[in-house]
Amino acid sequence: MGVLLKLWAFIKRDFQSEVSYRLAFVLQVGGMFLSLLAFFYMTGMIDPDAKGLDGIRPFDWMLVGLSFQFYFSAALFAFSQKIRDEQVLGTLEAMLVSPTPTSLVIFSSAAFGFTYGAIRVMVYMAFAVLVFGVELYARGLGAFAVGAALTLLSSVGLGILSASFILYFKRGNPINLVLSGATTFLGSVFFPVEQLPEWIQPASAYLPVTWSMKIVRGSLLQGKGFDELRNELLILLVMTIVLLPTGLICSRFAIRRAKREGSLVHY
Amino acid sequence: MEFAIEGHGLEKSFVKKRGFREMLRRPFAKAERVEALRGVDLRVRQGEIFALLGPNGAGKTTLLKIFSSLILPDAGQAKVAGHDTIHENLVKRRLGLVNSDERSFYWRLTARQNLRFFARLYDVPGKRIDSRIDELLARVDMADAADRQFSGYSSGMKQRIAIARALLHDPEVLLMDEPTSSLDPASARRLRQFILDELNGRDGKTVVLASHNLREVEFLAHRVAILVEGKLRQVGTVDEVRHWGVRQDRYQLTLEVETPPPGPFEVLEREEVAGRHRFLVGLEPPAGLPQLLDLLHAAGIAVFGCDRVEPDLEDAFSRIVDAEDGTGKGE
Repeated sequence: MGVLLKLWAFIKRDFQSEVSYRLAFVLQVGGMFLSLLAFFYMTGMIDPDAKGLDGIRPFDWMLVGLSFQFYFSAALFAFSQKIRDEQVLGTLEAMLVSPTPTSLVIFSSAAFGFTYGAIRVMVYMAFAVLVFGVELYARGLGAFAVGAALTLLSSVGLGILSASFILYFKRGNPINLVLSGATTFLGSVFFPVEQLPEWIQPASAYLPVTWSMKIVRGSLLQGKGFDELRNELLILLVMTIVLLPTGLICSRFAIRRAKREGSLVHY
Repeated sequence: MEFAIEGHGLEKSFVKKRGFREMLRRPFAKAERVEALRGVDLRVRQGEIFALLGPNGAGKTTLLKIFSSLILPDAGQAKVAGHDTIHENLVKRRLGLVNSDERSFYWRLTARQNLRFFARLYDVPGKRIDSRIDELLARVDMADAADRQFSGYSSGMKQRIAIARALLHDPEVLLMDEPTSSLDPASARRLRQFILDELNGRDGKTVVLASHNLREVEFLAHRVAILVEGKLRQVGTVDEVRHWGVRQDRYQLTLEVETPPPGPFEVLEREEVAGRHRFLVGLEPPAGLPQLLDLLHAAGIAVFGCDRVEPDLEDAFSRIVDAEDGTGKGE
């Protein structure tokens, strides 16, 4: 209960901070609608029978990629960026002298990023359904929920791993650099990986985002259930089982080393 | 007796940052280390105001960070209220840190919103958060301004909010790093009085403060430690430290004559004031004031004034810092 209350305190703090920039907050929501509008007309130029679209309308395919891209970005950048911001601002030290464990401070720092990412996904989906006539299948909601949870947990693992680098090295984060590039290029976020040369396509199988996208598109846009998405869900589960503990172990190591070096709050 | 703060043989060194050129020239060279603390033994009694003095880089902040569990010592043991700082959760519940960094708050939020957030981190029970914040805001005289954005506060107001934050969980020990460094003289005086009367006097909290302001330390501290190059040179009451290395009793004499007669004293300073001559003289025991006055009387010299001059902390600080070691080779 205490952990949840703390998590909520972080979300509330960042929300209060975010809405204090009122104009930016309103513009962001307006920007989301405009970007969807642009994608709606852009995807009109794409051949609906293009390789890798699996019969899904190009706009719908792109919409899921675009909206979930925010979610992955939140996961990858929220931890490390937030920790870096708090180091620079000087607020990290103030949090770390409280009885809240360092790992919880790191984890909770990204809570708003995740929540905001999830809200953006929902807003995109709402625009898509209400304005652009996208059809979502309720039949796949169970598989979608499990897939989204696994996506969240595997992303948390990667995000914490990335924050560990920031805690220890302060700047220069290879995880973010490699993953954000690889996600955009190989993760079937903006275009199907089948469009790439064949020799590079197998690399996409090592990215959690590839499997997340298959699950989300399959469940929401094609109405696939657990049976049809079993393999994708299992692969994502294995990735989560590897990534989450690895992230946690690395963060413990980084915190310990940074405390030993005396650089925990340096930037 | 249980001590509020204990340090036994504390050692800490940091890796010295290497320049880019140095890294290219000797990429595999072992990193040099800078020693910040070299075997510090320290005990602060419960209910005491204890000041840490020392030149820049002496290790004061490192010591405070070790007691706050922000840094692990390389060797030795640090305890707060009887708990080893390895058990950081136990320690952090008993300790509040007030630093002089104004940026340790969220500037887009109000003081109240900031305090609500930190109250959660300090595990203040949900039902008590608002009343505790109201109580603290009233104590630091910020109740009327609590709902303004933090960025609009003066330095003095920000510092008062920092104190309120450190008190949220009602800790036994308060660590203060340069608490008045950014304040104007009037705000600094009010804050010193608050520390003395309220935090220490009324609440009985142990206060450990690191400061460069020697007048502040003289005003506040029961005991003082002087840290030089990571080692404790002197620990004692303000009076003991003031007298450290002082072998002479000092008097200010106002005489009619330009030159006092020779005797068992040393003239340290002289000045002319309104046609009379004022001398600062040092008497080395066993010579005493009666002997000096007898001498002047025998020489027929009228004495218009005679005051004992107590050594001040600033002189003592310089003597201790400049001394080769801490064994009493001062003045």
